[in-house]
Amino acid sequence: MADYSIWVLEYAAVEKFPFSVMMYGPQHQGTRKLPYAYALVKGKGETILIDTGYDHVAYGKALADAYGVSNYHGPREVLRECGVAPEDVTSVLVTHAHFDHMGAIDLFPNAKFYLQKYELDQWVWALTLGKEFRFLIGGGDPADIVKAVAAAKEGRMVLIDGDREDVLPGIDVHLARDTHTYGSMYVTIRNDGARESADRWIFAGDLIYTYDNLTGLDPASPQIVPIGLAVGSQHNLMFASDEMLKSVGGEVRRVIPVHEDRLKTTFPSRLTRAGLQVVEIALAEGESSKVR
Amino acid sequence: MLNLAHEADHALLAYIEAGRVAQDLLRQVLTQLAGYSLMLMTASRRSSLPEQSIRAASAAAARAFGDIRALAVPSAARHHHHHLCKAAEAARHAFASAERCGRPDAGEAERDALTRALQAATAHLRVTARLLPGFEIVDFGQACCAQHAPAPAGGS
Repeated sequence: MADYSIWVLEYAAVEKFPFSVMMYGPQHQGTRKLPYAYALVKGKGETILIDTGYDHVAYGKALADAYGVSNYHGPREVLRECGVAPEDVTSVLVTHAHFDHMGAIDLFPNAKFYLQKYELDQWVWALTLGKEFRFLIGGGDPADIVKAVAAAKEGRMVLIDGDREDVLPGIDVHLARDTHTYGSMYVTIRNDGARESADRWIFAGDLIYTYDNLTGLDPASPQIVPIGLAVGSQHNLMFASDEMLKSVGGEVRRVIPVHEDRLKTTFPSRLTRAGLQVVEIALAEGESSKVR
Repeated sequence: MLNLAHEADHALLAYIEAGRVAQDLLRQVLTQLAGYSLMLMTASRRSSLPEQSIRAASAAAARAFGDIRALAVPSAARHHHHHLCKAAEAARHAFASAERCGRPDAGEAERDALTRALQAATAHLRVTARLLPGFEIVDFGQACCAQHAPAPAGGS
């Protein structure tokens, strides 16, 4: 039986996102839906989020008007689908410092946050470069870092230096250095608690946007194809993808890209009244399904 | 005969053009300071802190403060300029607080002061972003969702 229940919760979406950004190369293959989502992990006395989503109050209108981000709903409404309130969240693993992944830190008043130190170090360094290098800091918001400072003052911010096993019981984090961002982090949940786990789930952050990044588009000749957005290198993205895939024995569905719309058909799921997907990855003992 | 409305528009445009450069510098140094503050509050070794970067950022903040105070402010931009000045003032307080926070005898009061100054600076910056175009705080143009952005007017 699983130690943790795991859900992926959509909180907004871009209905028509260019596929060539999700996967580098296919420039003329149209668009796909890009859900914005975070993962809820519940068990062993912990209520954990992997990423927080963004702050709609600050950016909702700009994102809706200019970039087609639609159907935003805040964490109180989204988490309610699984019987959780933002105040219940005990820990948040922040995969990287983009606004849509760590932009809502202040909405989880009791949580402890975990972020890679290297992500922060390199952002501070990149800001010392000239304006012509602003690509390197795109998507970052000073207000998010200030929110992190407020959490740190309360002893609720942990900067992690590289890989760390059991950052929470049965949960490991890994630094994917110089990939999508400087210090992107992916998360392994060993859902049987065993060191050599047979029930391992990986949360990839934005190291991959779709399962196709792990398989390529030709089933007869699988290949790893990186996403189309890296401040680090495609090389590092590919090797991080390979590392994730190997750690789950090559079982692609166990490497979870939260921006993948096909999670809803890969796992049990339901559509909420607000039109958001709830995807159920695993259920711990005693937990009732939230999708049936 | 003078077209006053036209002149006012030009004055506002000139303010936006000059003001956004100063605001951008302020945003940049504020992010650096916030990152430094986060390290300050979480680091186990002070030697690992990027002191040199933060001294450069402090000097840049002083420059931004001077630039903002020197802006020619048309009446339509007075409210905006008020918040821009407040953001710059709060940033200066934050730099001073960060220095005090770095001292061995720093305590909760210093950390509180630093956090409050950073929060005030970002809150005022956000207001500037809402009041006039061109003062956006996050560069969504380079973010994950950027490729979905419409082409600039007149672009292909």
